Amino acid sequence: IKSDLIYIFYLLENISQVKNLALCAPPSMVNNEQRQHAEHIFLSFRKSKSPFAVCKHILETSKVDYVLFQAATAIMEAVVREWILLEKTSIESLRTFLLTYVLQRPNLQKYVREQILLAVAVIVKRGSLDKSIDCKSIFHEVSQLISSGNPTVQTLACSILTALLSEFSSSSKTSNIGLSMEFHGNCKRIFQEDDLRQIFVLTVEVLQEFSRRENLNAQMSSVFQRYLALANQVLTMFESSQNVMLKPTESWRETLLDSRVMELFFTVHRKIREDTDMAQDSLQCLAQLASLHGPVFPDEGSQVDYLAHFIEGLLNTINGIEIEDSEAVGISSIISNLITVFPRNILTAIPNELFSSFVNCLAHLTCSFGRSAALEEVLDKDDMVYMEAYDKLLESWLTLVQDDKHFHKGFFTRHAVQVFNSYIQCHLAAPDGTRNLTANGVASREEEEISELQEDDRDQFCDQLASVGMLGRIAAEHCIPLLTSLLEDRVTRLHGQLQRHQQQLLASPASGSMDNKVLDDLYEDIHWLILVTGYLLANDTQGETPLIPPEVMEYSIKHSAEVDINTTLQILGSPGEKASSIPGYNRTDSVIRLLSAILRVSEVESRAIRANLTHLLSPQMGKDIVWFLKRWAKTYLLVDEKLYDQISLPFSTAFGADTEGSQWIVGYLLEKVISNLAVWSSEQDLANDTVQLLVTLVERRERANLVIQCENWWNLAKQFARRSPPLHYLSSSVQRTLMKALVLGGFAHMDTETKQQYWTEVLQPLQQRFLNVINQENFQQICQEEEVKQEITATLEALCGIAEATQIDNVAILFNFLMDFLNNCIGLMEVYKNTPETVNLIIEVFVEVAHKQICYLGEAKAMNLYEACLTLLQVYSKNNLGRQRIDVTAEEDQYQDLLLIMELLTNLLSKEFIDFSDTDEVFRGHEPGQATNRSVSAADVVLYGVNLVLPLMSQDLLKFPSLCNQYYKLITFICEIFPEKIPQLPEDLFKSLMYSLELGMSSMSSEVCQLCLEAVTPLAEQCAKAQETDSTLFLATRHFLKMVFDMLVLQKHNTEMTTAAGEAFYTLVCLHQAEYSELVETLLSTQQDPVIYQRLADAFNKLTASSTPPTLDRKQKMAFLKSLEEFMANVGGLLCVK
Amino acid sequence: MADELDFTTGDAGASFTYPMQCSALRKNGFVVLKGRPCKIVEMSTSKTGKHGHAKVHLVGIDIFTGKKYEDICPSTHNMDVPNIKRNDYQLIGIQDGYLSLLTESGEVREDLKLPEGDLGKEIEGKFNAGEDVQISVISAMNEECAVAIKPCK
Repeated sequence: IKSDLIYIFYLLENISQVKNLALCAPPSMVNNEQRQHAEHIFLSFRKSKSPFAVCKHILETSKVDYVLFQAATAIMEAVVREWILLEKTSIESLRTFLLTYVLQRPNLQKYVREQILLAVAVIVKRGSLDKSIDCKSIFHEVSQLISSGNPTVQTLACSILTALLSEFSSSSKTSNIGLSMEFHGNCKRIFQEDDLRQIFVLTVEVLQEFSRRENLNAQMSSVFQRYLALANQVLTMFESSQNVMLKPTESWRETLLDSRVMELFFTVHRKIREDTDMAQDSLQCLAQLASLHGPVFPDEGSQVDYLAHFIEGLLNTINGIEIEDSEAVGISSIISNLITVFPRNILTAIPNELFSSFVNCLAHLTCSFGRSAALEEVLDKDDMVYMEAYDKLLESWLTLVQDDKHFHKGFFTRHAVQVFNSYIQCHLAAPDGTRNLTANGVASREEEEISELQEDDRDQFCDQLASVGMLGRIAAEHCIPLLTSLLEDRVTRLHGQLQRHQQQLLASPASGSMDNKVLDDLYEDIHWLILVTGYLLANDTQGETPLIPPEVMEYSIKHSAEVDINTTLQILGSPGEKASSIPGYNRTDSVIRLLSAILRVSEVESRAIRANLTHLLSPQMGKDIVWFLKRWAKTYLLVDEKLYDQISLPFSTAFGADTEGSQWIVGYLLEKVISNLAVWSSEQDLANDTVQLLVTLVERRERANLVIQCENWWNLAKQFARRSPPLHYLSSSVQRTLMKALVLGGFAHMDTETKQQYWTEVLQPLQQRFLNVINQENFQQICQEEEVKQEITATLEALCGIAEATQIDNVAILFNFLMDFLNNCIGLMEVYKNTPETVNLIIEVFVEVAHKQICYLGEAKAMNLYEACLTLLQVYSKNNLGRQRIDVTAEEDQYQDLLLIMELLTNLLSKEFIDFSDTDEVFRGHEPGQATNRSVSAADVVLYGVNLVLPLMSQDLLKFPSLCNQYYKLITFICEIFPEKIPQLPEDLFKSLMYSLELGMSSMSSEVCQLCLEAVTPLAEQCAKAQETDSTLFLATRHFLKMVFDMLVLQKHNTEMTTAAGEAFYTLVCLHQAEYSELVETLLSTQQDPVIYQRLADAFNKLTASSTPPTLDRKQKMAFLKSLEEFMANVGGLLCVK
Repeated sequence: MADELDFTTGDAGASFTYPMQCSALRKNGFVVLKGRPCKIVEMSTSKTGKHGHAKVHLVGIDIFTGKKYEDICPSTHNMDVPNIKRNDYQLIGIQDGYLSLLTESGEVREDLKLPEGDLGKEIEGKFNAGEDVQISVISAMNEECAVAIKPCK
């Protein structure tokens, strides 16, 4: 035997030379075959039975690192593989051997040493399951190594602990040792209870020792660093899926609540804070300790003590030092964790003075990080550490002040002022602010190219702005007047500067323009002031009615006694005049005065446009203005007094219902919109924000009522209907939204005659022009002429806009109007069959109408739409039969038509889910008479469409995410809604549908997989109903059973999918009971471990116990799903091997 | 570039091009770049400095030659857009590298070249195999060219 071993050993040595050659030599010298051969020998060596003796021999004699590495790997794999067969004592001795081996060879290659230690860790881990083997001894051994005082040995001890930690921590770091996920999970849980704590205690001891030493040499400080990193690893090991907060079990109480531990980490940090790498670790440890919560605290008192102690330590550490760049993020994480994790009542229970110091410190740090973040921006640094730290602190403020009933009123005002002022200061140009100033006060300014993809500041900094806006409200007394005076000052200066430019242009039109720096600085100041004002005065809202923030309301109410309403209205109503030129201007409502300051900015802009200075204006500022006005109008214009306990008199007088103020401001805003659309058609974003403001003005009936009283509104409508410049320069999306707004406005309150007139102005011209074009005798010949095409395109765009304006109370009118067009559009499909962009637009009209209206349509109307869609599809199909897409630049938008058709079909199907119609309720009175006989059903249209789309969809096309998602959405809908139609599909269609489902379940995103599972359930139910055991669908579902079975039992799957998979599974089990039993049998027969076999068998029995025999009964199904949950919890990880 | 071309002539008195504000152009639409009719394959906007005005960056492919052209201009500028026409003709013959095409009104055109490259080969192959095919012809700015082939309905 001995000679055999030696033979193997030499063989390996030789091979390793080949291998080394293979690894290092240029490819020309070693061929692939040699390389594979070498690898093969190593692999089979690792799989050989009981290689322990050989491996030991190799380890003791070989000098080739790679062979040593392979020997260690072979031991590790064999121990796990042959665990049950091995004597416990021999495992013990093997472990001791490996540890001793490493100890005696301090000069081993790092990767060899780590691999041997990994083998030790794996043995310990496998042993922890076994109980028969005592792995505690390893901690004893390690602690002896540590107390040796020898840095090399201590480093080794640290490596051992680190190896243990990685092995036991998250599943991603765990070695692949062929054990179930459940095993790995259990090991981690048990490990965290006790062993991890022991490691922590050992680590803390080392750190204590080191922190006491005065002078550390290089070697010792490297050991120190490793143990610090280890401590960090221990404290972050409690991560759950969402957060990395520290929530240990009760067993950790004594360890972590010992105040010396926390003090140690503060001390350590103070000692090493100038070392960037180590400071990362020490701060991370502190941040973890700052997030301590859960059963570790016996009561609130202990939590208060801990927090107070921690804050003391923190303040001692950071007060009076100059913070290093590398500390900023860490320190802000500590603070953010404290504020997020500790409940308000605990925060307030710490000594008052301490809490005040903490908040003062927070305010101070926030301002200081804010200034440093601004510097980072000036220097255009890649790594914005202060910006990140600033974000965290601002967010902490928001958390802190939002729940302010625990603090006495006004507690945070002083701090809010401080943070607010510093934010403003950093964003204003000198002399008021420090924007673009480098640390030594030099201004830097560069004109960089900004691409359209660059996010607007209002989105990029929305979190910061939300926090600053909130702080501004808390300190409204200070902040609102501050913003007002800063804005009013900028308005005056902007006005003056523009005048100077104008005079210079008049004096010498040919000469070069003046330097724009002054203007740009003013624009940037105004930009930030408007953003902050917008966030202070109103909230972001989605869907819900935006309310005036209570702080703003209170502030206005509080001062309303001192306010002169008339002067306030005067300030509001005279944006062309300087605020300070109005007598008594200081006795006006401050909130209204702030709004009017922005109206003054807007007025300067408008006047500059009238003076032909548009080229000097900032489109960015234009955007800011309309963005603000929209936000303001949503919240303040025509306030609904019922929504508030108390309402400020100035507000209700100035913007309330039936007031001159509101009528005036609506007129003013409308004028702004009209001017912008004319002047800024070339600035897409600005035009878009502008038209959104218009939608805001008309989307609520109360405001629309005022809008339609403006003559301007009617002019706008007429102008748009004429399709003359400048409105037709607008981009198509803006034109669509404009059409939407015009339609919405038409549903304002008007007398019948006016309403008639309005529609005559807005909708009729559309129809008239359209009919004029398409009814020309020579339309076929001239259809490709550009004017004609433009006319058609504009009409189609407008139709989309009209559909977008659909609401429940206007759908009757709009549907009838649009239906007339739809039929004509089908004719256009034929005419423009060679013009894909027009074809797409036509389909899009159908998509929009179906999307916005189908849910309101009763039977008869829905059928009209189905019929129209069916005809559309028929024409499309006729024109696309055999069409080859030859364009070489195959991109997603080339398949726009396919995508649109699928969207249309999906929209038509959506009626089965969302249906607000009440048998033509909304049409009552519009069309008397019975629904005609059902000639077309949604199923007919959709299946016809699917027949059309399926052959066009190829696997290549599924690589485009939008096509893929739309496709799967569509086929799932079909399976859910018309399962009975699926078996009737032509054979090849049926096959490709089934193949699509299979593909979707196995190799697409989890979203698509879920859709497919949802599709399988109704298909299986359909089979069960039909009771045909020889149908192709029946056979297909049998295949799905196997797929779903494997997915649930064998694969690590997404838990979000359990419900969908479970439902599909149950239905499939009902359908194929025999096959299911077979699957279970096969699975069980492969289990060698009798314990696991029994557990699995029991679990499977339990799974179906409540539903034997399984039937498609809802109650049984629910019971099954419940058992499935338990099943997954019991054996979910058992068969999933890593 | 504008004075190189005379807009007033052309078939049926229609102009070759018409102006459009740069911002209103769309990807997959058409534009004249460096005097050539192009399909817009890329379009992006940018500005110089946060308070600058929008500029449009256009990349187009010559619809006849496939050559790539680029241009950048203020979004307020007017660009020329070519009038594009598409027609389908039935292919009735290939002679000396020219196509014989039957128009809808029954006339025969023989002034269009058989395209070079794969498309030309495909047309020739299908025609020689006796397949009934239609040829899509695109015309713009007094130029005309076969661009696609499809089977007859």
